[in-house]
This record gives sequence, C-alpha cells and structure tokens, in this order.
Amino acid sequence: MISFIAFAVPAWIFVAGLYGMATSRNLIHLILCLSVAQSSTYVLILEVGYRLGATAPVFGDVLPGTRAVDPVVDALTLTDIVVGATVTALLLAFALRIYKKRQTLDPEALRAMEG
Amino acid sequence: MTPEALAPLAFSVPLAVAALGAAIGPFVPRRVLDALAIATGLFCTAACVLLARAAAHGTVVHWFGGWTPRHGIALGIAFAVDPIGAALAAFTAFLTTVALLFTWTYYDESGPPFPVLMLTFMAALIGFFLTGDLFNLFVFFELMGVAAYALTAYRSEDDSAVLGAFAFGVVNSIGAFLILLGIALVYGRTGALNMAQLSHALGAHADALAILAFAFIAAGLLVKAALAPFHFWLADAHAVAPTPLCVLFSGIMVQAGLYAVARVYWSVFSGALAEHDHVLRTVLIAFGLVTAFAGGIMAFGQRHFKRLLAFSTIAHTGILVCAFALLTARGVAGMVVYVLGHGLTKGGLFLCSGILLNRLGTVDVDVLRGKLRTKPWGSVAIFLGALALAGTPPFGTFLGSSLIAHAADEIGLGWLPWVLLVAAALTGGAVLNALGRMAFGWGPPPDPRAKTPAHESPEASAGGDRGFPLMMYACSAFLIVCACAIGLVPGAASAALGAGERFVDRAGQLAIVLKEMPGAALAMPPAEPIATSLASGFLAGALALAFAAIALFAHRLPSGAGAMRALESALVPLRRIHDGVVTDYVAWLAAGTAALGTALAAWMR
Repeated sequence: MISFIAFAVPAWIFVAGLYGMATSRNLIHLILCLSVAQSSTYVLILEVGYRLGATAPVFGDVLPGTRAVDPVVDALTLTDIVVGATVTALLLAFALRIYKKRQTLDPEALRAMEG
Repeated sequence: MTPEALAPLAFSVPLAVAALGAAIGPFVPRRVLDALAIATGLFCTAACVLLARAAAHGTVVHWFGGWTPRHGIALGIAFAVDPIGAALAAFTAFLTTVALLFTWTYYDESGPPFPVLMLTFMAALIGFFLTGDLFNLFVFFELMGVAAYALTAYRSEDDSAVLGAFAFGVVNSIGAFLILLGIALVYGRTGALNMAQLSHALGAHADALAILAFAFIAAGLLVKAALAPFHFWLADAHAVAPTPLCVLFSGIMVQAGLYAVARVYWSVFSGALAEHDHVLRTVLIAFGLVTAFAGGIMAFGQRHFKRLLAFSTIAHTGILVCAFALLTARGVAGMVVYVLGHGLTKGGLFLCSGILLNRLGTVDVDVLRGKLRTKPWGSVAIFLGALALAGTPPFGTFLGSSLIAHAADEIGLGWLPWVLLVAAALTGGAVLNALGRMAFGWGPPPDPRAKTPAHESPEASAGGDRGFPLMMYACSAFLIVCACAIGLVPGAASAALGAGERFVDRAGQLAIVLKEMPGAALAMPPAEPIATSLASGFLAGALALAFAAIALFAHRLPSGAGAMRALESALVPLRRIHDGVVTDYVAWLAAGTAALGTALAAWMR
C-alpha cells in the first residue's frame, strides 16, 4: 500500500501539471503548471532515498552506524530545483516580452506560425 | 597531457571563457569577443579530435575529484569517452566554430550575449557527449536547453522568436522531467547513477520498473530528438532562431537527443532489455517511419525556407531513429555517419538561407520567386545540398544510408532501406522544389488568396550593396564540401563500424569504467568494408528530382492541376495540427509519451 501511494502521488502531481498545461489559457498559468509538474520529480526523488526511521544525513553529533536517509537524493533534488528556477525565470521573461508586444497571454491568440 | 586530463578541459574551458566573456563583454570591442569565441571553438575541436584518437585505443575514463571506484562501487562522477562520443563532440565544436565564423560578417550588431551563449551551448553539448553518468547527462541536457531557449529568443524584439523559444522551452522542459522521473526510478532500484554501475546492477533481467524507467528516459530524450509526435517545437524554433544557431540545432542538437537514447540503451539497459529487443525495434521503427514521412511531406509546400529545412530535419530524425532501432553495432555505425553527413549538409543549407535573409531580407519562397537568378553560387550550393539530403553519392549521407541499409539487411529488414530512401528523397525534392521557384520562377503561380506569411524580421539589415559576402559563402561552401569529403574519406566506413562495435560493448565498458582495466583490452575490432550500392544512391537523387518536377510542373499537364489540388486538400489535416499553439504541443507530448510507454510496457510483459 505504502509503495503504491509512493508512486501514485508523484504520478498524480505530474499528470495534474500536464493537464493544466494542455488546457491553459494564460502563459503565466502555464508556466506555473510546468512548475507543478516539475515538483513531481522532487517528490519521487526524495521518496526513493527515504529510509524508515532514519535521520537526516548530517553526521555531526550522531553515533556512527545511525541510519540516515540517502544523501545523494538531496543533492539531486537541489540541482533539480536550481535548474527549475532558471528555466522558470527565463520562461517568465519570455511571457513578459510577449505580453508587451501582443497585449495578450492567451496561447490560442498567440500562434507563431501555422501549417 | 594525458587524454584523461583533456576530457574535462573540453567542456570546462568553453564554460570558463563564456563566463569571462560575460564579464568583460560590455567593455571590449565586439571583434575581441568573437575572436575569443572562435579560438575556443578551435581549441575544443582539437581537444575532442585528440580525445577521439585516444579513445580509439580504449575508452578514456576521467573521475572528477579523483573519486575513483573502490571495490567495483562507483560513487564519483565520471566522463567515459568512447570514439563515437568524442567524434560527435568534435563535430559539435567544429560546427560551432563555423557558425561563429559565419556571424563575423553576418550581424551588423551582435551584443556580447551571442558568443557567450554559443559557447555555453557548445560546452553543454560536449559534456553531454562525453559523460558516463546518467544524472550528469540530465544536467547537461538542461544546460544545453537553457542556452538554446535564450539563443532562440536572441532577437527579442521579434515576438515570433520569443514565442518559438517559449514553446521550445516548455516542451523540452517536460522532456527533461520525464528523463528525471526515469532516472529516479532506476536510481531507486539500483542506488547507482554511473552508467556502467547501473548496467551492472540491473543485470540481465528486465522487470516492470526497469522497462518503465527506460520508457521515461527514452521519451524525454526523444523530445529533444524531435520524434513525432514530440516534434512540433522544432519547426517553430528553427524558423525563428538566428540562422547560425540553426546550424547547431539541426546539425547536432537534435541528433544529440538520439545519441543519448542510444548511449543509455547500450551502456545501461541493453543487458536487461535484451530479451525484448524485437519489441523495442518494432515500436521505434514504427515511430521513426511516421516521423520520416510526416517531416518529408510537411517539408513540401512550406513557403518559409528555414521552416522547410526544419521539417526536413524532422524527416531525417525519423531515418536516424530507424537506424538506431536496428539495435546492432552496424546500425549505430550507420547512424553516426549519417549524423555527420546530414549535419554538414543541413548546416550548409541553413547558411545559404542565412545569406538569403541577409542579402534579400526574406526567406519566403513566394516572395523570392525568380529572384535567385542573380545569385548563381547560392543556387548551386542549395542544389548540391538538396541532392545530399536525398542521399546521392558521393555525399556523407549516402555512405551513412549504405551502412544503415547493410545493417537492416543483416537482421532481415531488407525492405526498410527502400522506404527510408523515399523519405530522404522527399526532403531533397522539397528543397529542389523551393529552389526551382526561387531560381527560375517555375511552378504554379502563388495563390493570391494565401495568407501573408508570418512577419519576417531581417536578421541583419539587407543590403546588396555591401559587396560579395565572401565569408558567408565560404562557410556555406566549406560545409557542403565537407559533406562530400566525409563520404569519400577512405576507411571512414570501417572506422565507423569498429567504433560501433565498441559502442555496443556493454561488458567491455563496464570492465574499463569500474575495474580500470587497461584499455588495450578493447582495441577496435577490425571491420571488413561493405559494398555500397551506388545504384540506390543515384535512385534517391533521381527520385528527389522527380518529386520536385511533379510539384513544379504537374499543374501544366491536363488534369494535373486538379490532382495537385486534391493532394493538397488531403494533407490539410496534417498541416492543421502544426498550429503553433503551445498547449496543443503539450497535449501531443502527453499522448505520445503514453503511446510509447504503453506500447513498450504492454508488449514487453
């Protein structure tokens, strides 16, 4: 049951983000949905490194041999967050630029080119 | 300097120079920055060529920070350089150098960001080709992506460029998430990120989780590779991106996505998925053929010459996916030679379109109708490029498709090369069709009711009075000549076949990376040369000419015009789904991922 929920939660977050993007009528909303989809990756990565009853992987004042969660997944998630922040900032800058030019953020009204 | 020490320099030096350029950019003349960037490009080309030579004697492994594996357990991050990775990295650096040379006279004004971003983009691609670590691959994927989105929107006063970059960024970011989800799954199973360690831990049996992880990683990477139905971003981004950048986009970035699929398959999953290779082959060939024909058909009837070339890239991606899908060493060898031949050709053609944009202010085929009469050299270059796209001897694409045909014959898919030949001929025909209109004013007159094309902002002020653009012509001619030369180099085919054998040698890679066995154990196996069939190559060229002739002259035949109209209306649905709406692209991406994942998971059970 636990392992089913462990997979179901990130899957749900990812699909919810995708659904939001596919039905979005506003580019800012779309970027936020992209961030939602991305947070599914944080959840999944943190989950795979979790160990029951273990402490944080900081070995200052704990006894040797204490169970700790996998420190690698923290590093992965941090890297992922940094990358996500960069992409989000860049996309938001694009959205601002588009709004200044076209006075709209509706993707249906913003066709680059067709056919 | 040992090759092990050279490997990290190939990507860290351009990053350092990019940072330096960003810092000093506002204070130094533009030419200083351009020259610095070109020198860095040359350095990286040389470094990667040296790496490729060293890798031919055994995979070059570099552990960052000296974190070498202990007792066969790898904790550190490694570069594992094989001949194919190094050759593609060298090709990246080479194309970047040519693109930077082209910009020397192309832009009247180009701010410091341009060379800085180009170097960042190149560094990310080089790292992408050299790394032996799965998460590192993802990081380089994202770094490459961010630099590419920013470069696509470089002319930010043009709103269609920003829109193209936006769609590009959104679709590729979703691809990156898919890769990361796959990495998380496989890390949860094995606790490893090093590719050799992963393949060791996965063993020789595939369970549902391994299949799912591979499906996610492959789908994410194939977004970058522009496999249908993930390909929509590509045409929009190429049409609006700065032309020198298109050389890199079409020449190597798209193919890098496919390279990574091949790398991940052969270095990590080939043991676990070996019993299911026929399923993977069938599914990928199906997707590849759809991509090849969708791209080839869409390339016809494009008014925008750069967008036409972008659809041709999509068609060639389909061909390359089919080559990988053979899942043999020879298939990989054919794929790599085809990547080189196609990249040089497409680069030359994009530079030609850049010359048009620079001199005539537009790449709209209908506006340029008959206007190329005054540009005979440009017409000749485009003509040769079109024949090369079709796979006519002696170009590199011909050698590549011969290798692919040979590999397909070996596993009993003798029909596949002939189908791919038609798809390649379609793209060549599409370029010839556009050339016939631009150079001679052939073809039916443009429909006056047709919508005016998307607003085209000239990338540099058009002016025919600035004399012969020698540097631009030289760059474009150089690439076309290289595309021809690569097909003529003696020994190119056997070197590629040997490198292909090394690429698929999972056990050998594992031994070298984890146990640091001497590289000599993996000397390149000698490969016997294969017979190339000149006839099929010339058939492809003839077919391309025939397709172009039909498109240009069928309307003069009795009932020809009606047939052409019927054909066009049959293609309306296909054209209509390329609608430029980013939300639709996301929906297609979701549907495609679901289809790919379901097909793999259902059949592999």
